[in-house]
Amino acid sequence: MVIVKRKELSFWERLYLPEVLRGLSVTMQAMFRKPVTRQYPEEPLPVNEVTRGQPRLAVNPDDTIRCVSCGLCEAACPAYAITIDGQETDRFIEREPERFDIDMLRCILCGFCEEACPKDAILMSDELELADFSREALVYDIEKLKRPVSALQPRLDYIYKLSDRWNSSSSSS
Amino acid sequence: MTEELLPAELPLLLVWVIKAVIIFGALISAAGITTLAERKVSAWIQYRHGPNRVGPFGLLQPLADGVKFIFKEELVPDGANRLMFRLAPIITAAPAMMAIAVIPFAGEVVIGEYNLGNLSITDLSVSVLYVGALTGLGIYGIILGGWSSNSKFSLMGALRASAQMVSYELTLLLAILSVVLLAGSLDLRAIAESQAISGESTIGVWNMFLQPVAFVLFIISMFAETNRHPFDFAECEPELVGGFHTEYSSMKFALFFLGEYCAIIVMCCLVTTFFLGGYDVPFWEGAPWFVQLASFVAKAACFVFLFIWVRWTLPRFRYDQLMGLGWKVMLPLALVNVTVTGAVVSFGWSPLLTPVLALAALLPAAVLFAKIKPGEASLTGQSIARQAVSEEGAVS
Repeated sequence: MVIVKRKELSFWERLYLPEVLRGLSVTMQAMFRKPVTRQYPEEPLPVNEVTRGQPRLAVNPDDTIRCVSCGLCEAACPAYAITIDGQETDRFIEREPERFDIDMLRCILCGFCEEACPKDAILMSDELELADFSREALVYDIEKLKRPVSALQPRLDYIYKLSDRWNSSSSSS
Repeated sequence: MTEELLPAELPLLLVWVIKAVIIFGALISAAGITTLAERKVSAWIQYRHGPNRVGPFGLLQPLADGVKFIFKEELVPDGANRLMFRLAPIITAAPAMMAIAVIPFAGEVVIGEYNLGNLSITDLSVSVLYVGALTGLGIYGIILGGWSSNSKFSLMGALRASAQMVSYELTLLLAILSVVLLAGSLDLRAIAESQAISGESTIGVWNMFLQPVAFVLFIISMFAETNRHPFDFAECEPELVGGFHTEYSSMKFALFFLGEYCAIIVMCCLVTTFFLGGYDVPFWEGAPWFVQLASFVAKAACFVFLFIWVRWTLPRFRYDQLMGLGWKVMLPLALVNVTVTGAVVSFGWSPLLTPVLALAALLPAAVLFAKIKPGEASLTGQSIARQAVSEEGAVS
C-alpha cells in the first residue's frame, strides 16, 4: 500500500476563493492567445518534396508519357491498385500504356511503385486531397494521373539524393 | 360593456401582450446566444477557434443546432414512465422562463408621446418570493426526468441534484434576505431603485459593496442552483454518463438545455438586480429607458460570461466536499451576514457599516479556520482509514 503525503495547504490556499481567482486569471490569459487550430480548407497542409502523396505519372515536356508499361509497379503494388495494359508506339521507347488505372481507394500511398519504376515515370506527388461522391470516380485513369515533369521535379531530385546517399554509404562500409 | 372596456383596457392589454412576447423572445434568443458564447469562450480558452462556419463568425450556429435537434429521432426508453418522461423537460424549462416575468429591465418606457409603463412584464410587490419559488420548482423537472427514464445513472444524477439544490437554495435565499432587509421591500424594482447612485432617499451605493459577503455567497450558490460547473453533479459526464438527461434525445434534450440556459440568464438578471443596482446607470440621473436597458444587459452579460469562464476553469467538486461547503461553510456565513444586516437595520445604523461589521463578525471564524488542520476538522471515512494506516505503519 502506498501512503500518499498530501501537500499542506496554507491558510490562503484553504480559503479557496483566492486560488479560484488565480485560476480564472490563467484562463483569461489563455483567451488572448492565438489559436493553434489550422482552418483546413482555407489553410492547406504544408507540403514539400518529402510528402508522399498520391502517385502521378510524369509527362515529358514534349507531351509524351515516360511510362513504358513494363508492369514493375503493378507487380510491386501490395494493394493491387494498379492496372496496366500496354501498346506499341512509334516512339524510340517502343511501348507505352494504353490503359493505366490506379484505384485510389486501394492505394495505400506506400511509394513502392515509385521505387520499382526504372524510368522515373511514376512518382509520389504532393497531392493529398481525395474525395468524391462515388467509388467509380476514385479509380483514376491515365488522363487524371498525368502531370508535367516540371511539377514533379522536386520529388525527383529528392529521391535521387536519397538513393545517392544510400549507394555511397553502402559502398564505403 | 365591452364597448366601454375597449378604449381604456384594450391598449393596456395589448401593451402587456407585446411586452411579454418581446421579453420572452429576447430570453429565448439570449439562451441561443449563450450556447454559442459557451462554445466560443471554451474554444478561446483552449486555443481553438470555436464554431465559425455557420454564418458570419458562426453566429447562426444556435439556429443550425436547433434545426438538427428537431430532426433527431425521439427515443423513449423501455420501462420509462412515459407521461413523466415527456413532462419533465417542460417542467424544467417552464419555471426558468416564467421567472423572467418580474425582472425589471428598465424604468418607464416612453416612445414619442406614449408612455408604455415600466419595462418588465409585470411588477409584483412580492416578486422576490415569486422568483424564489420558481427557482425551487426547477428541480422537479430534473428529479422527474431522472426518475422516469428508468436508468440508474439518471436516477443517481437526479438524486444528487435534489440534495445539492436543497442545500444551496438556503444560502441563496439567505443572501437575498440580507439585501431585502437593506432595501426594506420584496419588490425587485424597489430593490433595484434603492441602490441608485444618484437619487433621493436611496442608500446610494450598489449592494455589491454594502453586502460583499452576500454577493459572494449568492454567486457561488447560483452556480449550484443552475447546475453549472463546478457544481454540475446532476449531469457529470465521467461518472454518470450525462446524469438526468442520459436517456433524452431530440427536442426533449434541447428543452432541458434551453431551461438550463434560461435559468442561467435569469440568475444573471437577478444578481444584477440585487447587487449591481439593476438598470441603474452610474452618475446619470434620469437616463432614458434604452440607456437603462443597455446598462442592465451589459451587467447581466458580464455575469453570463463569468458563468462560462468559471465552467472552463474549475474542476468539478467531490460530492462530500460540495455538501461540506454548502452546509458547513456557506450556510453559517449567510446566517452571520443576515444577523449583522438585521442588527444594522433594526438599530437604525448607517447601511455603510454593514460590510465592516460583517467582515468583523467573520474574523473569529477565519482565525478558527486557520488554526484547524484539514484532517482534524472532520473525520471522514477516508481520513480515518488514512490515520489507521499511518499508525499501522508507525508500529511496524
